[in-house]
Amino acid sequence: MDMISEELIVSGRHIPNVDPYLHVWHWQIPFYLFLGGLAAGILFFAGYFVITGKENKMQATVKWAPILAPIVLVIGLIALFWDLKHKLFFWNLYTTIRVESPMSWGAWTLMVITPLSILWVASYMKEIIPGWNWKFEFLNRIEALLIKYRVWLAWVMMYFAIILGIYTGILLSAFNARPLWNTALLGPLFLVSGFSTGLAATIWISKDAEERKILSRIDLVFILVELFLIIHLFMGFWAGSQTSIEAVKMFLGGSYTVSFWTFVVVLGLIFPGVLESMELLGFHVPKWIPSALVLFGGIMFRFIIVQAGQISHFIN
Amino acid sequence: MDQENQKGLKYINPYLGGVLLGLLVLFTVYLTGRGLGASGAVNDVVTTTAEIVTPAQARANAYIGPSITDSDHSPLYSWLVFESIGMFIGGLLSGVIFGRVKKFHVEHNPNITSKTRIISALIGGALFGIGSRFGRGCTSGAALSGSSTFSLGGVIVMFAIFGTGYAVARLFRKLWV
Repeated sequence: MDMISEELIVSGRHIPNVDPYLHVWHWQIPFYLFLGGLAAGILFFAGYFVITGKENKMQATVKWAPILAPIVLVIGLIALFWDLKHKLFFWNLYTTIRVESPMSWGAWTLMVITPLSILWVASYMKEIIPGWNWKFEFLNRIEALLIKYRVWLAWVMMYFAIILGIYTGILLSAFNARPLWNTALLGPLFLVSGFSTGLAATIWISKDAEERKILSRIDLVFILVELFLIIHLFMGFWAGSQTSIEAVKMFLGGSYTVSFWTFVVVLGLIFPGVLESMELLGFHVPKWIPSALVLFGGIMFRFIIVQAGQISHFIN
Repeated sequence: MDQENQKGLKYINPYLGGVLLGLLVLFTVYLTGRGLGASGAVNDVVTTTAEIVTPAQARANAYIGPSITDSDHSPLYSWLVFESIGMFIGGLLSGVIFGRVKKFHVEHNPNITSKTRIISALIGGALFGIGSRFGRGCTSGAALSGSSTFSLGGVIVMFAIFGTGYAVARLFRKLWV
């Protein structure tokens, strides 16, 4: 009797757009990751300067820049929604809480931080627009409550800003089938990069040279930490398995080398860092140039990582 | 310090600048095997854009078609593009160091508006771009890098550009300063 040996492989690889390269995340995803990080950065520092009692010294950081936060969050959410295949089922994310799922973390964090950012802006409406009138008495009462507990609001907002910032990276690193994303460093890296873009946007908005100086100093630290993390990310891959080495080779001689090092590292980090340092040394640098470069670097970073990550794989 | 001296500090002596530029051409050829260029980078951007928007027409085009290859690299992967990014970085740094970088504004003759200045600059730039394609290079690519290799074409381009500029300067002076 002949023996029939049969092997059954259960795999998702037959799904279109998985092989040879994952091709399911389009421009909406890196665009959203950029906006999420930007909002996280803006809100974190708004909260931070209220808690440290520098509210009046840091007007743009606390009052003006946060107006951007709910706007970019909503644009980001529209982008996310746009990328969904089954758009009408998005609400399923809100029927469950899964601690092990970054998408669940993200969905709930956005659910918390978007209204918080709106409340934050609302609590400053009367200072932003003199003569602002809420029209209804209960809104005035809510506003009074928000102002009274603003420091608490700041704590909660900062906490969720950190989660939002980290989650934009964890969303990618949870993909264990994509070696380039599958590293714990991606969370901190996206957090730092997001905070740096938030600071850059705030610097651009601020009309107060003293405030810009303080923000530039912080931004410089973030730029340095980001460079440090990028180097360690690559060193970690280089010391890893063959798949990690293959993944990092895309940036060290492979097809993403030029775009990554030119646009992200030189134009998006080192050059704005040099300009910000020169400004602190007393040279006159138009405030928007380093900010625009940091924002440009931030968006390029996310596009490149999302694109290259989809290409990085285990099986040849 | 008076205004004149301050101005002197801000810009390099033109004769010294010219010698340095010549040395830079030598250094670039030594480093990259190619000369300097400015309009070439614009041409690469045009080629890339054409390839994205109308791929078939771009490939069929006799002029830009040959620059589109099936290799992994886009036409933007060229030394001139990186040279242009470097020019942006270097120019900005120099401006910041010598205090030339001010609030964004349009410099123009008081008798014309900013709009006239910008429109005429765009027309002038476009004409220069078209001309530089006919002449196989602009002031940097053909005149500077070309004539440094004793290319007759480079010398002709240089005289054509500066000669024409000198001849028509009186007519268009009011559109500039």
